[in-house]
Amino acid sequence: MSEFWNKAVMEPLTVLGRDILAILPNILAMVIIVTIGLITAWLLGHAVERLLRIIRLDQLSDRLGVTAALARGGVKKNPSYLIGRAAFWMVFLFSALAGLGALNLKPINQFAQSFLAYLPHLFLSAVILVSGYVVSNFISQGVLIAAVNAGFPPARLVANISRWGVQLTAVAMALEQLGIAQHIVVAGFALTFGGVVLAAAIAFGLGAKDLAKDYLEGKLSNRAKARPPEDIRHL
Amino acid sequence: MPNVETPLASETEAAVQRIGEADIVVGIPSYNNAETISHVVRAVSAGLAKYFSGRRAVLINSDGASTDGTPELVSRTIVDFGALLISDRQSPLHKIVTPYHGIPGKGSAFRTIFEIARRLRAKACTVVDSDLRSITPEWIELLLRPVLEEGYDYVAPYYLRHKYDGTITNSIVYPLTRALYGQRIRQPIGGDFGFSGRLTEHYLDQHVWESEVARFGIDIWMTTEAISSGARVCQSFLGAKIHNPKDPTADLSSMLVQVLGAVFALMEEHATTWSKVEGSNPVKLFGFQYEVGVEPIHVNVDRMIANFRQGLADLNMLWKEMLTVETYRGLLPLKDSPTQQFSLPDDLWARLVYDVAAAYHRRVMPRDHLLKAMTPLYLGRTASFVLETGGLTTKEAEQRIEGLCEAFEHRKSYLIERWRSAGSESSP
Repeated sequence: MSEFWNKAVMEPLTVLGRDILAILPNILAMVIIVTIGLITAWLLGHAVERLLRIIRLDQLSDRLGVTAALARGGVKKNPSYLIGRAAFWMVFLFSALAGLGALNLKPINQFAQSFLAYLPHLFLSAVILVSGYVVSNFISQGVLIAAVNAGFPPARLVANISRWGVQLTAVAMALEQLGIAQHIVVAGFALTFGGVVLAAAIAFGLGAKDLAKDYLEGKLSNRAKARPPEDIRHL
Repeated sequence: MPNVETPLASETEAAVQRIGEADIVVGIPSYNNAETISHVVRAVSAGLAKYFSGRRAVLINSDGASTDGTPELVSRTIVDFGALLISDRQSPLHKIVTPYHGIPGKGSAFRTIFEIARRLRAKACTVVDSDLRSITPEWIELLLRPVLEEGYDYVAPYYLRHKYDGTITNSIVYPLTRALYGQRIRQPIGGDFGFSGRLTEHYLDQHVWESEVARFGIDIWMTTEAISSGARVCQSFLGAKIHNPKDPTADLSSMLVQVLGAVFALMEEHATTWSKVEGSNPVKLFGFQYEVGVEPIHVNVDRMIANFRQGLADLNMLWKEMLTVETYRGLLPLKDSPTQQFSLPDDLWARLVYDVAAAYHRRVMPRDHLLKAMTPLYLGRTASFVLETGGLTTKEAEQRIEGLCEAFEHRKSYLIERWRSAGSESSP
């Protein structure tokens, strides 16, 4: 009975105890790494936020329309705060991965390696999306103003098309960067873009053939469209 | 102030050293002006010979790499003219033809002219446009004599123009400059100026020459800098200004970007100066004033109003960012008003321009977009002015402009308040 007790219960418990004792320093190391990481992340997050406020990133974002764009997307925080938070989570994530690595468990190590290898793609796609958003707003605003100044009636439509065109391109590039269904994304983008151009061409051909005719006649035959003379000098 | 010399081309340098000193420098910046440059050079040469025969004068043609033979025409005209005026040969009239360097444009040409004037220790300088058809020898006298004999530092031109000629000047630049700096200079961006050697030195010492202001707004910069530096300013009546027709396809919104961009940039630079100025003072006007027939101008008011209304419909989000709520609301009745009742009153226009200036200062959006988005607003104001002054003579229309200037002056406290609040918003 005593031998059975020793073999069935005490031995596994002894092994378990030994294993726990063996891993305990690793767990302790993990706790220390994660704690230090948390403190560092907190400090760095606040430092980044403060620095960005000093260099007036929020004012720059206001001017570039980034703040308004974020507000439209339901994000009420200013960019300095958001980037500060991003810095916090980035450092914390790294420290968590490093902490898990300290446990020296094979599956966790593999996961950490894969994640770290993927991180640049994730970062790059985020940069592409944000840049695409900012550039699309800038371009559509410029197109809208130019179209209105030229007296082009569907000015808003043209501006919206330019905005969505740039944003669509940015999304396609970001997805490609993430490696998500690369072929489908490229094909989908080409089909969508081609479809939009074809639809616009057909719509213009059917709906505005007289406008196109007048325009081409004016351009090719050099005939000025009959309209009241105007020779006002602004300067 | 730093006294850094602007480098000149070696041929120009040699010509300057050969001439040594001069009393008068006349600068003609040019670019592909073969059609008109001969007339301008003849008028300048005759003016120098007739009115300043005892003074040593140098003519500078700063040409921006014309491809139509403009510099050659200048050289030939000088020779021909010399042959015609034998009796005036004692007048030592020199000529320097120099391609200007640096950023392309009038500002760069002016810098070269100023530098030559400084090295020649000129007492008085004048610059005239090279596309003028109405310039006469008297212009040279009128632009130079107040400097040489009356002790003025800056002579601005005063032209007789059609009531619809120079509408950006009439509706924005003149009222704004007058309200800001307190001097009633009627043509602050006229293009033909006279100035003293002292002011030339001051111009050269400013750090503006590589900026957008030098590139596009050299005329308004010269006027503003003259006033704000405390120089003695006056005007000379030059009669009608007729110049070669400009490119009809020239983009209005680009013009606004260039002119208003320079005016607003100068407002930022001289905020301390203009915020202390109250009211305005008349500026001495030289020359015999006479009535002169001006070329008729056709205006398509319907197109302007249509453009304004499209702006109201499509650019409303941008205008709301640029303007205060009250100003924006003031525009809304114009959406459906009948054409004959379309009116953008002086007070509303003054507040609107001040709002845009503050928005430029606050950088509420890319500045290029801000200034271009003002195009339909400007066209709305121009249409309103045309409808209001349709049956008036040019003189009566001038009184309407005087009323607008008073509105700008009256509303200046509004500008200061908006400008300061913009400054506090952008502070950390």
